[in-house]
Amino acid sequence: MDRLLLLTQAISDLDEEKVFQILDELIAENPSDEEVQEIVAACQRGMIIVGELFDSDDYYVADLIFAGELMSKAVEVLKPIICSRKKDTIGTIVLGTVKGDLHDIGKNIFKGMAETEGFEVHDLGIDVEPDVFVAKVKQIEPQIVAMSAVLTIALNSMKNTVDALKKAGLREKVKIIIGGNPVTEDSCKRIGADAFTTIAGEGVDICKKWIVNSIA
Amino acid sequence: MTDVKALAQERQQMFVNVYRGKIPTRIPINSILSLEACIEYAGANQAEVLWDMTKAEPIFEKVNTDFPADTPAGGTRRYPSFYQILGSRPFVMSSEGVMQHPNVQGMEPEDYDDFIAAPYDTMIEKIYPRLYTELDTDPNTKALILAKAMRAHGDEFALLAQIGARMRAKFGFASIPSSATTAPFDFLADFLRSFTGICSDIRRYPDKVIAACEALTPILIKKGKLPVPSKIGVTSIPLHMGPYLRTKDFEKFYWPSLKKQVEVLTEMGINVSLFVEHDFMRFLDHLSELPENTILRFEYGDPKLVSEKLGSKFIISGFYPVMLLHTGTKEQCIDKAKELIDILAPGGRYIFNTDKGAMDMHGNITENLKAVIEFVREYGKYDNPDEPYDLSKDPMPPAEKIVAEIEANLNSKYYQTWEQYRANHPELEGRPQEVIAKKIKKLEDDMFNFIINLGS
Ligand code: B12
Repeated sequence: MDRLLLLTQAISDLDEEKVFQILDELIAENPSDEEVQEIVAACQRGMIIVGELFDSDDYYVADLIFAGELMSKAVEVLKPIICSRKKDTIGTIVLGTVKGDLHDIGKNIFKGMAETEGFEVHDLGIDVEPDVFVAKVKQIEPQIVAMSAVLTIALNSMKNTVDALKKAGLREKVKIIIGGNPVTEDSCKRIGADAFTTIAGEGVDICKKWIVNSIA
Repeated sequence: MTDVKALAQERQQMFVNVYRGKIPTRIPINSILSLEACIEYAGANQAEVLWDMTKAEPIFEKVNTDFPADTPAGGTRRYPSFYQILGSRPFVMSSEGVMQHPNVQGMEPEDYDDFIAAPYDTMIEKIYPRLYTELDTDPNTKALILAKAMRAHGDEFALLAQIGARMRAKFGFASIPSSATTAPFDFLADFLRSFTGICSDIRRYPDKVIAACEALTPILIKKGKLPVPSKIGVTSIPLHMGPYLRTKDFEKFYWPSLKKQVEVLTEMGINVSLFVEHDFMRFLDHLSELPENTILRFEYGDPKLVSEKLGSKFIISGFYPVMLLHTGTKEQCIDKAKELIDILAPGGRYIFNTDKGAMDMHGNITENLKAVIEFVREYGKYDNPDEPYDLSKDPMPPAEKIVAEIEANLNSKYYQTWEQYRANHPELEGRPQEVIAKKIKKLEDDMFNFIINLGS
């Protein structure tokens, strides 16, 4: 399917008109489950190229943000089909930008990509208190808790959130992933999370692996 | 002459020389402590001081005594009082008492056409009620809320000015009028379309973004006017979004209106001081197009390259990593100051400053900053200073005329020039026009500055 290549290309070119022209065409043809998966994968490959162009200084933050906007619009368009087809979601994620941090662009990109992969994402928003994470985890018992932060001082809030989950006896019941520009292997260890990434797509892959492994 | 007066005169001449591109007696040292850092240093409560700036005076005294830079410490334009009264969304006080800026969007894409036609009025009618929740109400309540907020705004700034005058008298600071404004694209991005919104707009409605920046430019030039007519003065403009754009988007959207703004302000006799935030190394050729003696305070980048490319035309500042003051040893801090001075000071177009203000006092900054100030004061003496630049020979710049033309073309039903006002008020015939004009103009301008301050 040549058009999937074109879709990937259009996303990586940030060509909004082209992206939705192709998506509309593809959706009009009433794609099978498998084909929908391929469409989603094509979008995500586009996002990965955007990330690479960012790393090579061809794109800058403004382009990354617009790519996130494209991705979430694409998710909106695809959601009705994905939802009507899927018998079950593949897993549940509680997501939020941690206390003290008001940035949510990266978090929203991750959310969009996770949803297209079939995750049910409960987004708590920004500046989320540890207690709010704890309460939500108690309420819906997700497999995964995902936290975002871009302020270096907010890394402490990530640790506080993990500690709060521990205190509430919930730590062993969930996998925890952290993302955002300042997270590193070191901070991940200190915070006590299970995984970290600065690439949204990689984060989604990690979550998928966790789900597959927990079923196996 | 008292020591303080002599010091004030020395400093005044230092800055005059530097601003005119002449070698001063020594490198001027900017104060680098933010108001938050000053409050922390004095062990006071952040929220209490911000809510009651009379409490800031002893704090400034302490900081100016302990960290004797050539400019006074502290100062802010973000007071919780008027933001609170207005129900501000763009600026909120955090639980720690720090003023913070969340992502907000006061303007919808549909508003572009109105905005381009009449930016000032569209802000007042449509945008501010979205940014300031207490203005989203009936006209009477709104009028009263605005009156309270503007009163608070005026009081805060008047108080700060009084404290400033006392600090000048006590510590011998220079007296140079200053103002502040915003780059047109940043003004559109920051509170109106939001950081995220503008990133889509430049792709979806590129022409409207350009037109909106053009419509804003005269307004933001007027905002940068000095508070009093003067032959010398500085208008600060912080730069936000440029480095987040691709070079070709920067050239298309960000640069033209900013360049125009700096050029006109310079024509008005002002040294524009750009806080070149983040990394501008991609844009050195653009910066080089700006008028001579524009002050460029850099955050990151290569000082050597900047010195080579820009050092003989512009006044360079910044680059000194404030983090080093927090985390480094005294020796490291002094070495860094020496390194930067050796690169940037020759030729005289240099002001010592950090890459950004210190937001708090963590680590070793207290000792390190004292040591660095002492070092720069000695090491920064020039052995080949130019003659004191004589301002009295300079003609008075045509600032009033330029701004009057902008005002006449504001296309606003809320902003009236004196001539427009006069035409609508025949009852003033035969009254002392000159005195009345001054007062009416001042009130209109106070309102204008208040309104524009709320937008950035
Ligand atoms: C956009 C922006 C803003 C916008 C935010 C808009 C919004 N809705 O988020 C606005 C203008 C509102 C803003 C405000 C402020 N900002 Co800001 N901001 C930025 C900026 C320019 C870009 C951040 C961004 O969105 N990047 C793009 C995204 C896509 O990247 P990302 O978050 O890393 O996400 C990617 C990955 O990390 C990953 N990911 C992210 N989250 C998650 C989560 C999971 C689970 C996973 C798996 C993956 C993942 O996926 C994404 C895509 O691959 C940065 C500078 C920069 N160059 O980074 C400063 C920056 C982050 N801001 C900064 C500051 C200081 C502030 C303010 C505090 C300023 C102030 N005085 O008010 C306020 C914030 C107040 C607060 N408490 O948060 C500093 C932080 C300094 C520090 N070391 O902590 C920076 C670095 C700027 C600077 N150089 O000083 N900011």
